[in-house]
Amino acid sequence: MRSSKSSALKWLALGVVLYGVVPWLLGDSYVMSLTVAAMVIGGIALAWSLLSNLGGMLSFGHSAFFGVGAYVSALLTMRAGVGVLPAMLMGGVGAVVASVAMLPVLRLRGVYFALAILAYSVIFRVLATQWESVTGGSAGLASIPTFPRVLGMDLASRRGSYLLILTLLILFALVYRYIRASHYGMALRAMHGSEDATRVVGVNSILLKALMLFTSAFMTGVIGAYNAHEINFLNPDYAFDGIWVILPVVAAIFGGYRTITGPVVGAVVVYLVDQLIFKSLIPVGHQLILGALLVAMIIYSPGGLVPLVSKKFFAGASSPRP
Amino acid sequence: MTDLILQSLYSGILQGGLYALIGLGLALVFGTMNVINFAHGELVLLAAYMAYMVEAHLGVNPIFAIPVALVLVCLCSALIYGLLSLVRVDRELNSLILTYGVAVILTNAILFIWSADPHSTGSDWLQGAVVFGPLFSMRGQVLFFIVAVILLAGLWWWLSRSWYGRALRAVSSNRAAAQLMGINPRATEIISFLIAGILASFAGVAIFSYQVIQPASGESLTIKAFIITVLAGMGSIPGVLIGGILLGLAEALTATLGSSAWQELVGMVLFLLVLFFMPNGLFGVKARRG
Repeated sequence: MRSSKSSALKWLALGVVLYGVVPWLLGDSYVMSLTVAAMVIGGIALAWSLLSNLGGMLSFGHSAFFGVGAYVSALLTMRAGVGVLPAMLMGGVGAVVASVAMLPVLRLRGVYFALAILAYSVIFRVLATQWESVTGGSAGLASIPTFPRVLGMDLASRRGSYLLILTLLILFALVYRYIRASHYGMALRAMHGSEDATRVVGVNSILLKALMLFTSAFMTGVIGAYNAHEINFLNPDYAFDGIWVILPVVAAIFGGYRTITGPVVGAVVVYLVDQLIFKSLIPVGHQLILGALLVAMIIYSPGGLVPLVSKKFFAGASSPRP
Repeated sequence: MTDLILQSLYSGILQGGLYALIGLGLALVFGTMNVINFAHGELVLLAAYMAYMVEAHLGVNPIFAIPVALVLVCLCSALIYGLLSLVRVDRELNSLILTYGVAVILTNAILFIWSADPHSTGSDWLQGAVVFGPLFSMRGQVLFFIVAVILLAGLWWWLSRSWYGRALRAVSSNRAAAQLMGINPRATEIISFLIAGILASFAGVAIFSYQVIQPASGESLTIKAFIITVLAGMGSIPGVLIGGILLGLAEALTATLGSSAWQELVGMVLFLLVLFFMPNGLFGVKARRG
């Protein structure tokens, strides 16, 4: 009883820090805009690790969902006059629709799945470039509407956009936690042991994998939409850039992709260190260090660094659990 | 119009030889270790940049870069093997992530050393025209197509006749049984990585001799190599050559009949169609469904 009380207090303290202290401390500074960008990566990393941890599928094509979400939301606000926040949700839905096209891929084994998804991401990029009448072609879309004011809070300000992405990430993390604790989560865990054995006892493994793909696609799509309205600009090479896969994968592996908070914490740490330190050391090609980090993590600590550290603070709260 | 189509068929076949070289390296490693080396395209690109260096700094024909490229690329390839052998848990997925990390390192190292500017050869000899009736090509294209066919044929002979070649095939068809027959799987694995390095070196110099290179093209080379592996199915060198030529033809015909912007798309679509409808490839035997 005492331990659950103290852990509730810790979560409350964390909430105060995230919603109060961080925005107060960072204000509208440059670091704040970097933090927001890092949390965008964190959102993709969360969605990516949901798919790889719960679904057991490694994806190199999450930029497909990110780009589709961004384009759907941007076009809905610009061409159909939909409000920014509902359009962001529709961006997520758009990414789910895109992932429906990927359903045949679910039957494939690991490597084939990873590369087939990457192929989709290339296809979507080419389509976005070629479908000029709608997407504006390779020149892209400029002056995409920004976030509105909600409850007197200007979400378009740096502080406001921080609070918005923070809330999105917390919602996603709760959804992730809910799925993991539900009986779907149990079936998915069983599938890790042996997919065939799980099917024998009557679990529709393809359906479950599809649901995980949809959830992951939706989250990534919403994040993509958020990013489009944040930076107000979009073109195919940017929206479907491989960087939307590289950074989240590094972040998720670094933070521990079998945990919920790990990928997000990993994203903030990796992105800030990359932008503030590596970038000033090596202006061009600084992701070299990220690649080296990824290799080192896989060899020495494939479970991630954050779980090790956070075990001391949140006893058991974010311990690795498939 | 027929002339145009004939011409694009011809260039497609020439391009296919190069693709087969790249694809075979990936397929060999995949066969012996069940690992897709995501950095394979970057190895090819590294060899291409060696060719650029040799031409830009020594002022000689980029073909002379092949020995340099062989040393460097095989070294990198062996290094990747060394890193892969350190992976202990969850080997299939972690190996893939590891080679992905190596690919990121190599791409950015290339970007760091040679900047993002595209480069192509200035050699008049390689770019000189070779004309067969209505068909036109550059000397580099024809030369490296012949080199590719010789390499593939040599490798085919080696794999089917020599002791090591047969050991390599034995390990890729049944690792445990091969071990029982006294084959050291680690030796065959490292050999397959070295051969992949050799093929990548030739392919890289070939690419520089008639195409434009830039740091970002590594990833698309890896994907193309994988497409060919999928098209060919496992364990068939003629299959790899035909797969490479099919991809080359599909790209060339799309560029001629449609637009070059769709060229990238056609390979991906071909890849997905084969995965969905012919999961064992056109010539292969192994299943890849989960």
